Amino acid sequence: MPGLPLTSRGLEEVVFHRGAAPVTVARFLAEVAALAARLPDEGPVLNFCADRYLALLGFAAALSRGHVTLLSADRTPLRLAEIAQGHGARYALSDVAAVLPLPVLRPDAMPGEAAPNPLIPADAIAVIAFTSGSTGEPQPHAKPWGALVAGARGAAETFGVTGGTSVLGTVPAQHMYGFETTVMLPLQGAGAGHAGDVFYPQDIAAALAALPAPRLLVTTPLQLRALLRSEVAMPALAGIVSATAPLSDALATEAEAAWGAPVREIYGATEAGSIASRRTLEGPGWTPYPGMTFAIGEDSASVTVPGLPAPVPLSDRLVRDGEGRFRLEGRLADMVKVAGKRASLAGLTRILTGIDGVEDGAFVAPDDLDANPQARLAAAVVAPGLSAEAIVAALREQVEPAFLPRPVVMLPALPRDAVGKVSRNAIAALAWRR
Amino acid sequence: MTTTLSFEAEVARLIVEALHLETPPEAIDPEAPLFGEGLGLDSIDALEIALAVSRRYGFQLRSDDERNHRIFASLRALAAHIEAHRSA
Repeated sequence: MPGLPLTSRGLEEVVFHRGAAPVTVARFLAEVAALAARLPDEGPVLNFCADRYLALLGFAAALSRGHVTLLSADRTPLRLAEIAQGHGARYALSDVAAVLPLPVLRPDAMPGEAAPNPLIPADAIAVIAFTSGSTGEPQPHAKPWGALVAGARGAAETFGVTGGTSVLGTVPAQHMYGFETTVMLPLQGAGAGHAGDVFYPQDIAAALAALPAPRLLVTTPLQLRALLRSEVAMPALAGIVSATAPLSDALATEAEAAWGAPVREIYGATEAGSIASRRTLEGPGWTPYPGMTFAIGEDSASVTVPGLPAPVPLSDRLVRDGEGRFRLEGRLADMVKVAGKRASLAGLTRILTGIDGVEDGAFVAPDDLDANPQARLAAAVVAPGLSAEAIVAALREQVEPAFLPRPVVMLPALPRDAVGKVSRNAIAALAWRR
Repeated sequence: MTTTLSFEAEVARLIVEALHLETPPEAIDPEAPLFGEGLGLDSIDALEIALAVSRRYGFQLRSDDERNHRIFASLRALAAHIEAHRSA
């Protein structure tokens, strides 16, 4: 299997901005070699650095040593420990304090001797990404190096990223979307990443202003909305990329008007990575990333991704749109996405009805779940001896905060239709009548 | 603002209204963590609170603030931070 170099960028190009100091590829390679020499003999490594440059440095050093990096978008100590144990992590890389049952190293960006650009076998597993399942164990998704490289080049081409573009991400480097567009893109595509951890509108605006133009903002519908509502002053943008949830035309229109730059969306999933994109205001048709092959049926769809061994099933309903594009016609009923995290309603309902004292119950999603970035799930519960607060407290032990129900509707019995099936519409009417 | 309403209670009401919480404002323990345990808020809520604060009190929360974890540590800490920085 042929090898692909760690980075495709020229030695003098800037790969990242860290504080005021631009990091050139030559400096990056020297830092990678210095860190690689300090790493333990064996991986896998759990990398949960908050600083995006340190996340990249740790990933690159581990990769050059043949260590697989475990990426968990959920950085709560419980989930990290679970993944470390379940997947045999030998050490962790982090810049934040953490108590874990394994050695935690801090990756330092220390200038070292000039170092070569290592070759990595294309079929080597570089990363295992985890989907945050609410239904039990986090699910692992292995990413061969060649597939990650192909994705980064596809993104650079799709978004017209030039060498000097500053790329500011608001999504953690450990989220698959964040990893592809803010870590792999500078490494194997184009542009220079931004190291800092930004979250609030004011952080985003200040960090962008400190970066050289042209500037690309990589974010989510939720943060786009917060940026627009907060009315913070933004510097000129060359483009905005949004993913994790569908973006409404209204928000895209507002963002393009406010910042005078195109708003593009990525469609993807942790299992497959980024697989298609569109400019929101040009219509509902999604253009596949280079090399993707879609199999689209009545009730199912899958995508074959270059470098991945098997087709990946998708949880949305797809319809062909001519000219190689497709439209998204809603999700398959059971799968819901809140705050960029996916869960099965049936799985959540199983957890709910497994709580001591709960006789019956059901999770339901509001009709506007995909259009409203703030939408939450609701639960209807039959539990004569329990309060709604007690039920939320019990759920909190097993379910991520994003999926906690708001509201909880306490009922003497679940509404059922003529054939005895729980009536989703009747529950929705009770939950969202306000 | 009525004179009988403490600032903490006002912030509690702002949180419950902005986030559509089940919990009544007076039931929020001013010392309990807002995120994770306690109220169980998440990052969507953090953005929503930041927006509500900027609208009502005229200043922006920032995450490069070293004290960020302390600010969101409890209702009491958040209310104190807002009171110290409000411009409206």
